[in-house]
Amino acid sequence: MAAMGHLSALDGSIIGLYLLGTMAAGLMVRKYVGRVEDFLVAGREMNVYLGIASLAATEFGIVTCMYTAENGFKYGFAGATPGILNALAMFFVGLTGFCIKPLRQSGVVTLPELFERRFGAGVRRAAGVVIVLGGLLNMGMFLRTGGEFLVQVTGFSQAAAPAASGLLAWAQGHTMELTMTALLLMVAVYTILGGMLSVLVTDFLQFIVMGAGLLAVTVLILAKIGWGRLVATVETHYGAGGFNPFVHPQMGWPYVLFNALLNLAAVLTWMAVIQRVLAAKTARTGQKIYTRTSFFFVARFLIPGIWGIAALSVLGSGANSLQAMPRFLSTFVPAGMMGLVIAAMLAADMSTDSSYMLTWGSVIYNDILAPFRRKKISEKRGLLWNRSIIAAIGIFLLAYGLWYPLKGDLWTYLGVTGTIYLSSMSVLLVACCYWKRANGWGAAAAIACGATLPVLYLILEQVPATSLWIRAHIGPYYSGIATYLLAALAMIAGSLLKPGGRQGCPQEAGK
Amino acid sequence: MSVIFWKILTAACLVWYAAVTVYVAGRGFGDIRRMLRNLAAKRKE
Repeated sequence: MAAMGHLSALDGSIIGLYLLGTMAAGLMVRKYVGRVEDFLVAGREMNVYLGIASLAATEFGIVTCMYTAENGFKYGFAGATPGILNALAMFFVGLTGFCIKPLRQSGVVTLPELFERRFGAGVRRAAGVVIVLGGLLNMGMFLRTGGEFLVQVTGFSQAAAPAASGLLAWAQGHTMELTMTALLLMVAVYTILGGMLSVLVTDFLQFIVMGAGLLAVTVLILAKIGWGRLVATVETHYGAGGFNPFVHPQMGWPYVLFNALLNLAAVLTWMAVIQRVLAAKTARTGQKIYTRTSFFFVARFLIPGIWGIAALSVLGSGANSLQAMPRFLSTFVPAGMMGLVIAAMLAADMSTDSSYMLTWGSVIYNDILAPFRRKKISEKRGLLWNRSIIAAIGIFLLAYGLWYPLKGDLWTYLGVTGTIYLSSMSVLLVACCYWKRANGWGAAAAIACGATLPVLYLILEQVPATSLWIRAHIGPYYSGIATYLLAALAMIAGSLLKPGGRQGCPQEAGK
Repeated sequence: MSVIFWKILTAACLVWYAAVTVYVAGRGFGDIRRMLRNLAAKRKE
């Protein structure tokens, strides 16, 4: 048998109770789904507090916890800078309604649907493909990262398994894959049956469990290790740079500027976030969800960041930066409390997976497959289509992310896929809402440029002849900043060089 | 950014997160009940 590591009977009971409660809640609300709009945007009946819980739960998965803790481990407190920038961007957008107000007022279900009203059907399909490609490739990594966290933190040791034969030996050798497959199946079942309604209700439960687990561990760290030791650890390893990103040798202003652009773009166009605005009862409700959730994004980086600093303090800088935090938790968190931590992390992962499956599924149904539906289909058939697409996404996640893990650098991979999508979509959204001369030519040019530059950077980084030069003279941050600027310039140049097409604000264009 | 900045921010995160978790737990439950009631009414129509 694989070693059960650090789990007691009490831990197992807490985890079991949480999983049972989530499944029951997720399945209970499926009877309220009668139309495609109920399935995709909960009939636009979501109010502020449910929206806050759902947004916070969706945007915090195990993968988030892993990379934010790694930031704390590698950069000290300065590693929480992206969280502060994210919170500022979200507060600004929520307060002013910048882009999200016209977006919600337009009554669309997805971003590409809005783009069609200004830029035409071709741009809608191209935007849908870019969004789904970037989103699914990003998400492809979630399951394995989540599994690796659970293996480290629970002490499920495949190496420690005694010799066995046949199916049992195979199962012992694939504990992580089987656990994550079972978890994904549970998520897929309630998401397929209840759509956004199940996602919202389970997100609500997951927000509470996640909050309890994150706070309990952080308080334990501050009580046992102490604030003074955390600060001393950062000072010893990183000096002033551990507190100030502008003087950190690996960060500096390009890191801050790139993250400012990345976070603003994510707040405006990351579909899993935007879907909360689209499901809100009114545009004003959507804005309130943004302003009131904004500070969560500081906590999202800083709390796991403190876990990463604690791991640095206990394990030292020689440890693997990505695995240090779960390794630290596996020995630091006492039995009994470990159940709460694992339930919290499962909650984080399940809420993210369910929302993301629904989000990318909605774009595939609404924007990529729309041209192939020549006749209006019944609500029943529409629901069947949506459920089938989510099932297909689940199969993709298993095949791509878990059973066939990618080789290479995860963070470069995530950065490239994210920038390909966010750079062009944010430019399209701003232009669509506020620039009357923007047209389909500019939109197409922005999508092409937004995708080309990051891919070109990645290729040049892999080619031996250019690898050293591009890393020394350009680097990922300058390349990222240039991508956003180029996408904006392409939109302006394309629109001005070939004027024409639909004009006006998106709220009017579709009516 | 000095140590005190991060100390205040950490304390604010913990207090804010604890307060919001408790508050949203209460208010969010009401939101779910209203949402399901409205959807049920829509289905009857």
